[in-house]
Amino acid sequence: MPLSDAHNTTANALETQGIGKRFGGFWAVKDVTFSVKPGERRAILGPNGAGKTSLFNILTGDYKASAGSIRLFGEDVTKQSIPKRINRGLRRTYQHAYLFDGLSVRDTLFLAVAGIRGGWRQVLPVRLSDPRRAEAERLAEVAGITQFLDRMVSDLSHGQRRQLEIGIALAEDPKVLLLDEPAAGLSPAERPQLSKLLLSLPKEVTVILIEHDMDIAFQTSESVTVLFNGELMAEGTPDEVMADKDVHQIYVGGAHGH
Amino acid sequence: MKYLLILIPMALLPLVLNDFWLSQVLTRALIMGTIALSLSFLATYLGVVSFAQVTLAGVAGYAIAYFGPNTVGVGVPLPLIVTIPLALILAMAAGAMMGYIARRSRGIYAIMITLAIGVAFFYFTRQNYVLFNGFTGFSGVIAPALGEGNWGDPKPLYFLSLIVAAICVGLVQGFVRSPLGLAVQAVRDAPGRLLALGIPTTLPIVAAFAFSGLIAGSGGILNVWFQERVSSFSVGFGPIIDILIISVIGGLRHPTGAFVGAIVYVVLDIFAIDLIDRDRFNLLIGIVLLLIIVAAPNGLTQLITDGAKKLRGGAAKSRTT
Repeated sequence: MPLSDAHNTTANALETQGIGKRFGGFWAVKDVTFSVKPGERRAILGPNGAGKTSLFNILTGDYKASAGSIRLFGEDVTKQSIPKRINRGLRRTYQHAYLFDGLSVRDTLFLAVAGIRGGWRQVLPVRLSDPRRAEAERLAEVAGITQFLDRMVSDLSHGQRRQLEIGIALAEDPKVLLLDEPAAGLSPAERPQLSKLLLSLPKEVTVILIEHDMDIAFQTSESVTVLFNGELMAEGTPDEVMADKDVHQIYVGGAHGH
Repeated sequence: MKYLLILIPMALLPLVLNDFWLSQVLTRALIMGTIALSLSFLATYLGVVSFAQVTLAGVAGYAIAYFGPNTVGVGVPLPLIVTIPLALILAMAAGAMMGYIARRSRGIYAIMITLAIGVAFFYFTRQNYVLFNGFTGFSGVIAPALGEGNWGDPKPLYFLSLIVAAICVGLVQGFVRSPLGLAVQAVRDAPGRLLALGIPTTLPIVAAFAFSGLIAGSGGILNVWFQERVSSFSVGFGPIIDILIISVIGGLRHPTGAFVGAIVYVVLDIFAIDLIDRDRFNLLIGIVLLLIIVAAPNGLTQLITDGAKKLRGGAAKSRTT
């Protein structure tokens, strides 16, 4: 039974109905319907050009959907702005770490925690005793980058930048976390550390993960969705998906995306 | 602490310098430096080079002239306690408006938009007689009374300019450590990423421009008291370029760079006549600018800082050997 049907309840954390994105005459994502339960770990697989990152961009609002609808905890967010979706608990990381190079790790995490809410006090320097600083430090600890708190983001290694991305995404009570290839560019030595970090994420947070590294994807996810040429090809548990003939054909048989 | 090492000697300078040096060199440099600081702030922390900081200074200057005493008979005199905050608020509002207009622009496009605003304001002041008294502007704009003289006298204005400059540097350093200041820097580095944190980019951009209006407006008020006049020439293309040159000479990366640049610029402006024909000042300042850009792309302040580091490193090395 497809997972979309299994999870088609009012309690879905995220639910899409026939969403698509068209660039000119080309559908980067076409008629994708799926749903993810609260607290579920879902991996999105597919070859390059399958539309995985485009799907994330539609979910976050970076791309306006050309068709279909998106529901976040039952609420239609299809036409909502990015900040509104973020305020409803949707968070993401980027395939290519996209960070504030001119800020320190501490300031970056502080900004993720504090935002710019609170009226005129937002123009006053941050006090050392500000509880939001402590929260930023806690996030650094969760992401395993405590020792780099006072380092400039531009001075971080690729792996540390990935960890910081996850730390940022965990700020301010995330409900649905979209991780776009968190292991991309990591050395083999850094990958187990990332797996450990992903497995340690709070259980109540729904995680949707795009990942090419099958070990990490299957180790950290209980369900898998496969995209191919922008369309949903298969869904199921890791074992079910790996047993799927079409999926096998893509990964072993030499079929290619765009 | 390090700023006290600069401020205390500067506070003692009136004991050794005559009125010419105090007024024509240092006070002028402090005022121009304050206006240039507003540009350095925007360039360093928001990543936007604005050509309209002189406009913001001009808004405050015109407000002081229009709502204060002048000899042209135009305006609505108000008490000083109202005029000064009003001038600063108008400069901040003008800055906020400019930020809103330029909120989606970066690089050359932001330069073009701010330049267009600056040039439009220049022509508007020349043509409007109701608010700006047209081509001639306002003269006889006297600073507030102080004992038998007024705040525009050389020593009081020097101290006032020094205090305002120090406050502005402090404000910049405080603002960039605030949540809004961090958001401004985040806009500079990755606006899309800031949006992905749920923080709209318009507010930090508008706030940064408004804050730069506060700094530029402070300089504009001092400038109108220093010159005792304000006219379209105060907000023309010449002053716009002067402020840009000052910021680049001093270095955009540090708040004090604006003042270092201003000192160099003013000294060259005054003493160029001893080196070269007065009419060739632009050639001289152009050559100096070129040399500084080649020798120290980050400005004189960076050159001085790097030099001091090297000296300290050399001294430490010689102690250990």
